[in-house]
Amino acid sequence: MTDLAAAEELAGTTAAGRLALADVTKVFGSNGEQVRAVDGVDLTIEPGEFVTLLGPSGCGKTTTLRMIAGFESPSSGRIVLDGSDMISVPPNRRPMAMVFQSYALFPHLTVRQNVAYGLNLRKLPAAQIEEEVSLALTSMNLLKLADRAPNQLSGGQQQRVALARAMVMKPKVLLFDEPLSNLDAKLREQMRLEIRRLQRRLGITSVYVTHDQSEAMAMSDRIIVMNGGRIEQAAPPDEIYRRPASVFVADFIGRANFLPATRVESTGAGTARVQVLGETVEVPAHPDALTADDVVLMVRPESITLTAAPAGGEIRGRHGKVVAAVFYGEHVEYELETETGNILVVASDPDVDAIFAEGADVSLQFASDRAWLLRQP
Amino acid sequence: MAVTGLAPGAAGAAPPAAGAPTGRRGRVPVRTVVRQDPVTLALVVVVVAILVVLVVLPLATVLVRAVSGAGAEVLISMVTSAVNRKIILNTVILGVVVGLTGTVVGFLFAYAQARLKFRGKRLLHVIALIPIVSPPFAVATASITLFGRNGIISNQLLGQPWNIYGLPGLWLVLSISFFPVAYMNLLGMLRSLDPSMDEAAQSLGASKWHIFRTVTLPMLIPGFASSFLLLFVEAIADLANPLVLGGDFTVLASRAYIAVTGEYNVPAGSAYSLVLLLPAVTVFLVQRYWVAQRSTVSVTGKPSGRVELLRGFWGRVPLLTVVGLITALILTIYGTVVVGGFVQLLGVNNTPTLAHYQYLLSGIGNDAIIDTTLLALAAMPIAGVLGMLVAWLVVQRLRRGRGLLDFLGMLGLAVPGTVIGIGYAITFNTPLEIGGVRLMPALAGGGAVFGGAIAIVMVFVARSMPAGQRSGVAALQQIDPAIDEASTSLGASGLETFRRVTLPLIRPAFLAGLTYAFARSMTTVSPIIFITTPHTRIMTSQILSEVDAGRFGNAFAFCTMLIVIVLVVMGLLNLLIRLLPGATPAMATKEISA
Repeated sequence: MTDLAAAEELAGTTAAGRLALADVTKVFGSNGEQVRAVDGVDLTIEPGEFVTLLGPSGCGKTTTLRMIAGFESPSSGRIVLDGSDMISVPPNRRPMAMVFQSYALFPHLTVRQNVAYGLNLRKLPAAQIEEEVSLALTSMNLLKLADRAPNQLSGGQQQRVALARAMVMKPKVLLFDEPLSNLDAKLREQMRLEIRRLQRRLGITSVYVTHDQSEAMAMSDRIIVMNGGRIEQAAPPDEIYRRPASVFVADFIGRANFLPATRVESTGAGTARVQVLGETVEVPAHPDALTADDVVLMVRPESITLTAAPAGGEIRGRHGKVVAAVFYGEHVEYELETETGNILVVASDPDVDAIFAEGADVSLQFASDRAWLLRQP
Repeated sequence: MAVTGLAPGAAGAAPPAAGAPTGRRGRVPVRTVVRQDPVTLALVVVVVAILVVLVVLPLATVLVRAVSGAGAEVLISMVTSAVNRKIILNTVILGVVVGLTGTVVGFLFAYAQARLKFRGKRLLHVIALIPIVSPPFAVATASITLFGRNGIISNQLLGQPWNIYGLPGLWLVLSISFFPVAYMNLLGMLRSLDPSMDEAAQSLGASKWHIFRTVTLPMLIPGFASSFLLLFVEAIADLANPLVLGGDFTVLASRAYIAVTGEYNVPAGSAYSLVLLLPAVTVFLVQRYWVAQRSTVSVTGKPSGRVELLRGFWGRVPLLTVVGLITALILTIYGTVVVGGFVQLLGVNNTPTLAHYQYLLSGIGNDAIIDTTLLALAAMPIAGVLGMLVAWLVVQRLRRGRGLLDFLGMLGLAVPGTVIGIGYAITFNTPLEIGGVRLMPALAGGGAVFGGAIAIVMVFVARSMPAGQRSGVAALQQIDPAIDEASTSLGASGLETFRRVTLPLIRPAFLAGLTYAFARSMTTVSPIIFITTPHTRIMTSQILSEVDAGRFGNAFAFCTMLIVIVLVVMGLLNLLIRLLPGATPAMATKEISA
């Protein structure tokens, strides 16, 4: 859908920016009630990196993005782009461009005029504006729609215009505020791949805010999981998923079972022997979990396999009973009753004849190297 | 507004460098210095300065005069003197009866318009709005001709020697003049009530009458309250009608006028108008910040259904009869105004004549028409743009101080015209000098520059800007704030955003603001009669002298002329705005792609 060659030509030699946030804090409210929306965020984003701010609503991700853009001013802290301080720069002078959740296209301008808006403000020669706008429209596959009004476009097309309008400015940093959340599921999946492909090709430093974890997983070089105004973890998607820094992250990204465990001993570099489900196993562990008193063992539902067990057995240790079995086509989800509470198990590509019925007795195994020991918060 | 360092020495102190760990607990709350868009800041400063000169300065002068020396004596006599107590009582009575009557009439018209099925709705709407654009003395003068001691209806038709001067006449005239305010207010509320509530009540088994009593009326209570308060303030602040119709029934506004223009006692006039100012501003604040918050109108977006219009006999005929009678009265009054301009003296000597229009179009009358129109045209764009600017700063740009700026803007309308007029007369009739240096020449009065025209334009702007501001605020609240931010993010300064995005988007509100500014300027009277000069004649004040002199024919001709000018300019403005390029984006293809 996108014309990457045109996009590259448009981007030319624009240098991607290095963006640093140092101890950025935002306190809302006056003397009465104060809310720390963002609380001491430290973050450095490398040139060309695609970083996603992810978290539940109210975690401070949008406020952080708006502080980067300049629409909010931090209560304290520094925002530095390529070595120059951004705090004292008003939003319209920051070399950044933002793509909004509501697209925010100017309804009284055509697609072409929308894309040309920022260049017109720069008072560039008309011919140059014309050329760059055409390149941007081509790269977003919008040339045929150039003379339409925004309200004559579909949601996906409007989002493309918003993207073209931001890209044509050749920003050092591209900011995205939940840009896909107004699109339907299929279009959303398609657009996120397009944005990712485009960004990777052009190498623009990008900050992307979303509450959709699969969006974050699919697009990011690095995911910043935020909670209560603080960064819980900043890491590449696989590390966030496999080695979450906290129970919050493990719970927020994907699904997880948290099995009560007792640490027997720490066995050297990042592993520990724990007592879980009545047995002792050696599992990888978060550094905090090596010293903490209370620990839990995170096991992802797809890491667990089930085998048939003799009927009528006592629910104890690895022995459990199927409470619910839901067939989704490409996978089956089981809810098991065990001595430590209910456990979620996912079996993919199931053999239809071998699905355990509700009430069946099963024995559960999990790959201990896929488990992850965490400190109990 | 700029956020400056609050903690001493915080400004400029370098925050901890990236990577350097800082103890979160031990940190002193440091406010980072933020410089916002300088263009926006400059705009705020300019707008505030303009508003201070237009409204705050004259108001402050009145306050100072009112509490000093002679003024203070009058203030004390408000309580001690029986005459003054009577004046205050009169004013309150007038405000209450007009507030009640106007609200009821406004509701009847609004309900008929919103919920009844009948033909001629559009026409009824236009007729109900005539009093808004009508010159101030038209209704009063026509009422004297119709219902006065020798009135066409009272004496010649019914043989009753009614005395229209005093409370009864004021009640009638002010109710007719001001009910459109309640009408518009309640019509807006009725239309925005969610029809699904009616449907819910109906599905629960309620009859139409029951729904009206238990659902519709209670939901409108904030609307009734705010309508009553608005009319109360309009009625007590009105000066034009008490001057013509008051007779022995003295109210605060007319008393202040007599003090200033008859007794040359400016402090006393200031004191009387201060007493008028207090309830006006109180009611304004209550109406705006208290009633508005109790609104039951659901603003969740599109209404879920359509209201079922009443068609039955008992639901329609009695109400439509009352509305029809009032409409007939309004039409008779304005018919009298039009006809009265073409006969010698309507009701006394009904010989057709063009003498009044000859007088109007030559000499003094002509000067007044040209001066007034030119000054109103000069005030129109200033008031229109200023109103939109304030609205835009209030809704989209300011965080802190937005309430204050909003209030400052609306003050020009909230303060009674008498107060503004006296304030201008005493503030701007002498040059402003500081340390012997003349900063500003005299703007008002006979000896002022441009024959006092500047002060008149300023009054026009101060009085007519708030309406534009209000419609601008309403329009801007409909617009996604992200659009403003998108423009900023693309590099536009505050002024560029306002010019390229905001103004085109609120074009209808801007147009409404412009037309209202013009109509309001042409018809404003109470502040004008304090600052009009022999060099600058204003139609409304000319009408007053014609009425005073008993030359009703000239007055009627003036009124008709004024209405025609207002309608013509409104029409031209509509046309102009529609023809301007860039109203809608060019549409190469009509088809909507999937």
